[in-house]
Amino acid sequence: MTTDSTTAVHDAHDDHHPTEKQYWVVFVILGALTALEIYWAEAFREPGGGILVWPLIIMMVIKFLLVAGAFMHLWFDMKILNGKLFTWAFMGALVLAMAVFAIVFAAFEFQV
Amino acid sequence: MTDVLDENLDDANVFAGNEDAVDGDGHGTDDHGHGGGHHSSLGLSNMKLAMWLFLGSECLLFGALISTYLLSRARFIQELLAGNPNVTSTMPDFLVEEFQEAGSVQPLFDIPFTSASSFILLMSSLTMVLAHKAVHEADYRNSKIWLSATALLGSVFIAGQVYEFTAFYREGLTYTGNLFGSAFYTLTGFHGVHVTGGIIMLMSLLVLAFRGKLNQDRAETVELVGLYWHFVDIIWVLIFTIVYLIP
Amino acid sequence: MAITERPLALPSGDVVEPSRPMGILARPRNAANWLTTVDHKKIGIMYGAASLFFLLIGGLAALLIRIQLAVPNNSFLSADAYNQVFTMHGTVMVFLVVMPMGAAFANFLMPLQVGARDVAFPRINAFSFWVFFFGGLMLNTSWFLGGGADGGWFNYAPNNGIAFSPSNGIDYWNMGLLIAGIGSLTGAVNLITTVLNMRAPGMTLMKMPVFVWMTLVTQFLLLFAIPVLTVAQILLASDRIFGGNFFNTQQGADPLLWQHLFWVFGHPEVYLMILPAFGIVSEVIPTFARKPIFGYPFMVFSGIAIGFMGWGVWAHHMFVSGIGPLSVTAFSVATMFIAVPTGVKILNWLATMWGGKLTLNTAMLFSIGLVTQFTVGGLSGVSHAIAPSDTQQTDTYYIVAHFHYVLFGGALFGFMAGFYFWWPKAFGYKMSEKIGLWNFWLMVLGFNLTFGPMHILGLQGMPRRMQTYDPAMGFNFWNMVSSIGSFILAVGTLVVLYNAIVSSIKWKKAGRPDVGPDPWDGRTIEWSIQSPAPEHNFDVDPAVESLDDFWHRKYQPDEDGKLRRVHTGEEIAQPGNGEGVHLPAPSYWPIVLAGSLPLIGYGLIYNLWLAVPGGIIMMMSLYGWALEPADDLDVDDHHGDHDQDPDTDHGEPVLETV
Repeated sequence: MTTDSTTAVHDAHDDHHPTEKQYWVVFVILGALTALEIYWAEAFREPGGGILVWPLIIMMVIKFLLVAGAFMHLWFDMKILNGKLFTWAFMGALVLAMAVFAIVFAAFEFQV
Repeated sequence: MTDVLDENLDDANVFAGNEDAVDGDGHGTDDHGHGGGHHSSLGLSNMKLAMWLFLGSECLLFGALISTYLLSRARFIQELLAGNPNVTSTMPDFLVEEFQEAGSVQPLFDIPFTSASSFILLMSSLTMVLAHKAVHEADYRNSKIWLSATALLGSVFIAGQVYEFTAFYREGLTYTGNLFGSAFYTLTGFHGVHVTGGIIMLMSLLVLAFRGKLNQDRAETVELVGLYWHFVDIIWVLIFTIVYLIP
Repeated sequence: MAITERPLALPSGDVVEPSRPMGILARPRNAANWLTTVDHKKIGIMYGAASLFFLLIGGLAALLIRIQLAVPNNSFLSADAYNQVFTMHGTVMVFLVVMPMGAAFANFLMPLQVGARDVAFPRINAFSFWVFFFGGLMLNTSWFLGGGADGGWFNYAPNNGIAFSPSNGIDYWNMGLLIAGIGSLTGAVNLITTVLNMRAPGMTLMKMPVFVWMTLVTQFLLLFAIPVLTVAQILLASDRIFGGNFFNTQQGADPLLWQHLFWVFGHPEVYLMILPAFGIVSEVIPTFARKPIFGYPFMVFSGIAIGFMGWGVWAHHMFVSGIGPLSVTAFSVATMFIAVPTGVKILNWLATMWGGKLTLNTAMLFSIGLVTQFTVGGLSGVSHAIAPSDTQQTDTYYIVAHFHYVLFGGALFGFMAGFYFWWPKAFGYKMSEKIGLWNFWLMVLGFNLTFGPMHILGLQGMPRRMQTYDPAMGFNFWNMVSSIGSFILAVGTLVVLYNAIVSSIKWKKAGRPDVGPDPWDGRTIEWSIQSPAPEHNFDVDPAVESLDDFWHRKYQPDEDGKLRRVHTGEEIAQPGNGEGVHLPAPSYWPIVLAGSLPLIGYGLIYNLWLAVPGGIIMMMSLYGWALEPADDLDVDDHHGDHDQDPDTDHGEPVLETV
């Protein structure tokens, strides 16, 4: 677990950050996804139900991962020693939140 | 309210790049025996680790708020469709009819408008990473430009939210009226407060930048503000879909 | 550690005069000042003192309850006063006694046990303490400002609404705990960062003392549980102060939402109260059994398992709230499972003591007290896990007996063990063993007399939270026993304060004899420094090679493989020479910032204009804090080395001129 901190820290700062172009590409994808979301919400409003909701949720998750991975550097932190800890701390909290509140909703759902 | 404080607390340690840490990452290891420096066991920056932990805790906060919103909206629609007079009397008739007809609160929202402000917030995330990159690469001219752009885009978003709240209030959705009003304004308002906190941090960074104090060494400070900013953006990604798009 | 004023040499060779960061509230110069200290040991001691102070308040409330219930049809307290007293008793004991006592040990001990100079963010640490303390004080001002909260410590909706509780008591409960919660949250971030990132070289995760592990798990629980309570309280504040509708059933709101949010927080809360005590006895028992802890990895992983499973059992507090048979079944099963890791811990403590050379001093006795009494509480807990049984027991004194056995008989006994064990490390003298024995036996007697009969009363059907009872109900005898027991318990608990004072006076009269770095023949590295712990902790970063590193440096196997003492603790302890050590400088800002929050709280309750000065002070102190360098450059330290390694301190002096 113990590492030579000096090297690790410098690695984190020097090597693994994406280029400006990559940031722009991510941004364009995000913008396109947002446009698609709006289109989808409009187009499938009438039938509603699963065909409306699930694609929207999937797109939301992709956007989430794109921002967290690229802009918040999680993909790049994954490559440095122990940098995964950031991902674990954050994603762990996220999974915990989703699980706990899913159970809360389930409890409301099955409240006979 | 707490959260404003929480977040400002972070902001306090972050924006001036003040390594509160006994050993920030920059200090690294001191090999000369007695030194004040201390090993960083994982080779990570204390500040960054702390920021991620704080954001993890924020996940639970927004998780609880979003859940409250979803539950409250469901109960509100249920009561509205059942024609509960306590609920229908809290809004103007046309709004009640629109909601009842759609079976959702969707008619209230102005999707094109909100889409635009969502896009603006997404764009501010891009300018934020570019600002960090510029500071990191000691490109101080561009860092000022991108920081200003981020703060500006954030302010536009907040202005949009203020406009939206005013519009909804005029249409007859009040905070104290019914369950949906309370839940909607609380959730989006909480997010707005977070954005405002972020803008304050960005402005503070800008002041430092214009005084020439935001040099390459402080790239991590910008990164930390960035992490917070992107997190707020991510929350909006969730809110946009869950609150506005999915009925 | 002299404080000198001198020009500062920058890496560039320029010389600048250090300037005061802010005109007002310039850097405090008196490092010994408790109000501005950022030293984790002092903050830990303040946490301990504050929690003992609140223990007096909570204990007084408990005695009032027991006086009221001693005889049937008593009118000592009115029903309204009784509601306030039991609500505030629970709230104070949970949030202002047990939680901060855990924080006291975590703050004082954890950095010493991981071999760190201080916590990761010393000023935030001071802030965490002050914000907890001010929040607690604010909560308790409600006694004098219209009465305390009266809805039970969980304040169920819709009972917590204005309609049912028109006084400001619940608003105080809300604001006080919101403010204290900020402290818990910042403390959690701080301590987790410290454990993960500031361990001594060589101390891998699986070489950390069990107490450090339990601190880590506890702080993670806090980190994720506090925001859920915060949201619940924000919703409640919205309803009570701003006219929101979250728990307004006439608008279709579901009051079960409060119960879910509260117990999603509340059950991890239960574990974060007991785990620090588990950590403490896991240090005390091996020391006085003279054996390593049995099954260290099991201790660690059962702690982690409790941390995880603690998130999946909250609805067992709601078996009779109408959550439906499916939820009841699922949570019932989950609750039975969580008894497993707890049982593992009990077995491991027993196995540690088995065959050991036991020293039955006060600290050890209190630890054994925890193991025994917690087991009783744990077993009654399992009987609640079985939903049909719980349906009978819930809201009776059986539940009261259960949680006092785990929280008082468990957590508080553990903390008492910790006080006796680490007292020399904190203050430089041992508390008297003779008075300690009185302390222990009085507490054991009083505790079991008070809470043991409650099992019987509960099974007889005596409901909780009832102001009084009819003589014909058959509750008279055991209630009287319980009330007598509570006074014995109160006296027994006060003995620890008496002991601390008397032992201190005796020690001072004897000319402050040195207790030595290692009075108990300890195992972990906090015993390798002088007592009381020097301000800078370790002279040099300790290099850790194994679990119980200090022990292994004292005892090594000889040719036959038998462990022999090769050194005494005194021989290998660090001399406590702090020369050249640079410490974080004290600061006014944490206490000022923390002080601004209750102002905002009062403002929200009474008049928003009151919140304005609070907000202004808050913003000013945030900027003051941010602009004040954490490291004071003109305090004596190793900054003379700047020429050799310009990297050590990047840019701090520049900021001072901002």
